[in-house]
Amino acid sequence: METIKSDYLDEKLTQVRDMDFLRYRSGDLPTWCPGCGYFGIMDAFYKSCRELELKSENICTVSGIGCSGRTPIFINSYGFHTLHGRSIPVASGLKLAREDLSVFAVAGDGDALGIGGGHLPHVARKNIDITFILFDNSIYGLTKGQSSSTTPYEMKTNSHPVGNPDGPLNPIRLALSYGASFVARGFAGDPGGMKDIIKQGTLHNGFSFIQILTPCVTFDKTNRTWKNLKENVYNLGLDPEENNMENAMRAAENEPFGVGIFFQDKNRLSYHDTLRHLNR
Amino acid sequence: MKDIDLVIEICGSAGEGTISAGEILSRFMSGQGFEIMSFDSYPAEIRGFGKCVAHTRLSSNCIYSPGKLVDVLISLNDGHSISQLSTLKKGGILVYDSAPLKPHGEDKSVLGWAEPGTVTYGVPLTMLANRAAGNSRGRNMVALGAVVALFHMDGQSFTQSIQARYAKKKQVIIDANVNSFLEGFNWTKKHIEKTDSISFDGVIMPAGREKLIINGNQLVVRAALDANLKFYAGYPITPATKIMEILSKELPKNGGTLLQTEDEIAAIGAVIGAGFGGVRAMTATSGPGFALMTEFTGLSVMAEVPAVIINSQRGGPSTGIPTKTEQSDFNAAVLGGTGDCPRIVLAPIDTFSCYQATVLGLYLAEKYQTLVVILLDFFLSNSIRNIDIPVKPSQVFLDSNIAPTKAELENYQRYKVTPNGISPRAIPGTPGGIFFSTGLEHDEFGKPDYSDKGHLKMTQKRFDKHSFVLEEAPAPQISDFTGDMADIGVISWGSSAGAAQEAVMLARKDGIDAVSFSSMILSPFPEKALVAFADKCKKILVPELNYSGQFANFAVHIIKRPVERLNYITGRPMASEDILEKMRQM
Repeated sequence: METIKSDYLDEKLTQVRDMDFLRYRSGDLPTWCPGCGYFGIMDAFYKSCRELELKSENICTVSGIGCSGRTPIFINSYGFHTLHGRSIPVASGLKLAREDLSVFAVAGDGDALGIGGGHLPHVARKNIDITFILFDNSIYGLTKGQSSSTTPYEMKTNSHPVGNPDGPLNPIRLALSYGASFVARGFAGDPGGMKDIIKQGTLHNGFSFIQILTPCVTFDKTNRTWKNLKENVYNLGLDPEENNMENAMRAAENEPFGVGIFFQDKNRLSYHDTLRHLNR
Repeated sequence: MKDIDLVIEICGSAGEGTISAGEILSRFMSGQGFEIMSFDSYPAEIRGFGKCVAHTRLSSNCIYSPGKLVDVLISLNDGHSISQLSTLKKGGILVYDSAPLKPHGEDKSVLGWAEPGTVTYGVPLTMLANRAAGNSRGRNMVALGAVVALFHMDGQSFTQSIQARYAKKKQVIIDANVNSFLEGFNWTKKHIEKTDSISFDGVIMPAGREKLIINGNQLVVRAALDANLKFYAGYPITPATKIMEILSKELPKNGGTLLQTEDEIAAIGAVIGAGFGGVRAMTATSGPGFALMTEFTGLSVMAEVPAVIINSQRGGPSTGIPTKTEQSDFNAAVLGGTGDCPRIVLAPIDTFSCYQATVLGLYLAEKYQTLVVILLDFFLSNSIRNIDIPVKPSQVFLDSNIAPTKAELENYQRYKVTPNGISPRAIPGTPGGIFFSTGLEHDEFGKPDYSDKGHLKMTQKRFDKHSFVLEEAPAPQISDFTGDMADIGVISWGSSAGAAQEAVMLARKDGIDAVSFSSMILSPFPEKALVAFADKCKKILVPELNYSGQFANFAVHIIKRPVERLNYITGRPMASEDILEKMRQM
């Protein structure tokens, strides 16, 4: 039997890569645990970039610290792994200095809502045109299983062995209250839905807040598991064109497993457009 | 021609026009060709009746320090001026309101507290202001009129200075001020018999070059704009706020963007983000804000992203004394933060070098892909000088990023180890330049690498860059030795350097064999130059405005011998008189 030359395989692989969304993947293999929800988020991200036909060199991905912090390594883009909680300020400065770039900021629940919680209201009210993806697994994974800002009340964790005394934050409600002009939720087990949301968020001219519900398969065996999520997640079916804050708020309050776009204000000026408007 | 070297202080309550009177006097003197150095002190509180002092030194020669003792004290408020008498020279001149609205007893009048031998001139400021304009607001102008008349200055030109100061105001206000001035001028000519010897008669200064009357903060902005600054992020904090306020007007006109952030962490974060984007960016702050920014300084150094922080020092630690000057952030700037973290620290030694330091700082940060801290202080930020208009930086200083060549972009190593430690840096948007940057220790591609060899190699690389920085920084200012050895060497930094240099000049006139050394670059420090200097000095003195001798401790490690120290935390700028006194005791 004729053996297939590796050169031939390489060439074919390159062709496939160039044609497909995999061109947005870097050569580095993710270091996340097998079964982690983040793999699904990455796939959705690559695919949304593909559909938007973004040029890799014009994509910047900025992260903080935590399992999500490694994200930029696995993306074929200019990546910046910054400090714990600080992906938003760095991404903001980058976008304001370089309007021509597509700037994404990613953070985990501890990163975005705990240590970096002070930055969210301001990037939202300024409406800086970055796409922010919250990898929300409701636990500190990289430090091995401590309670985070979205860990449920009374859940047992390594920092609260008899139960979490703190109530969880509601990220969607916060983003709506802060005045984010695009607020959505995706599920790590639904790459197609996530892809659409990330795509819409990227196209949105202003601050886009995207929460992704994802399990931590290693440090959360009881709460946000694949099983629980798959059984409970459903499509919200809200029409973002309605731009209805009341419905969005009600859904944020009552539909913790609803995914889709909660709210979008297409008329609000982004920070850049506001500056142009004020300086005209 | 006789020399003029005078220190004049105007002291009053907030709202009495003390500061504006000082400003008019300074501008007038600058216009007449004199060197000026002036600063104001005022309460931190916004409202109230706090004490304000406008301090101006004017001289027909070069000025190095603001002058500690005062020749002429103009009192607009007896209560506040009494405490100001302590810095009036023996035989100095006091101009006071001889008929205040509410007459007060001798124990509450400034006249009652004046030392015997003080030359006192009573002028009915309130009465004359009322006569000139129908209210007492023009008391400050009446006082200026009296001073101009007393010292035989050019009254005609002075009137023009007042008109220029209020040019944008309504005619009624201009008239009220000019009339008040003339009232004071004429009354003094007529009623005061001069008993002092200060006179501007026959003093004609050569028509000099056009001067810029400016303070350190304003000059930093001018320099930053001239040096291609395109992004600024900041959070309000005294005494650095003005930098943001002026830039908010000027930066958009120059195609840049300004972001007021929620805190100083976000400010430096945004600056690093913009720096990552290949745009020149900076922030300005003071002690408490610098403490927050320390979180990010390591990232700038580790990920090799340019960032410039202006830290205008104030009294510390913690909230400290926001409106007083101090040099107590030396340790924080040069040594602060975690890890082995080489950074560039520049400290302008006078107002003019605020311009140089800012241009150089933006250039070095971009070229060496690192953190630059520029240490100003409350005094440098706010004191006003008349300086020659700075020459704009040449093209070399405007774009200093070393970009990768086409060949270098093949299998691009963002953190490639090179002979000078500088790795060619691709800017986002460059095809083929994609890299990953991190605050983690990393290999030459930027990928995390925790190996012992890797950590050593990259740490060395980051330090190696620094040895080249010194070659691009201005050499230390060292005064001439008269022989092989000098008796006293004075080592100084930042805003104290002027006073130190002046003290050395005065000491030499006094027969003390002294020399001075001051360096604008503090990190990396010109250690060889300092050791060579110290080797030629029998004794070393380090004057600085902090309690623990932060720079003296640093210098001791370099020259490996004890030094004499002179430390003040009075909130006032360093005085050459105090350094001279210390040298006499040594």
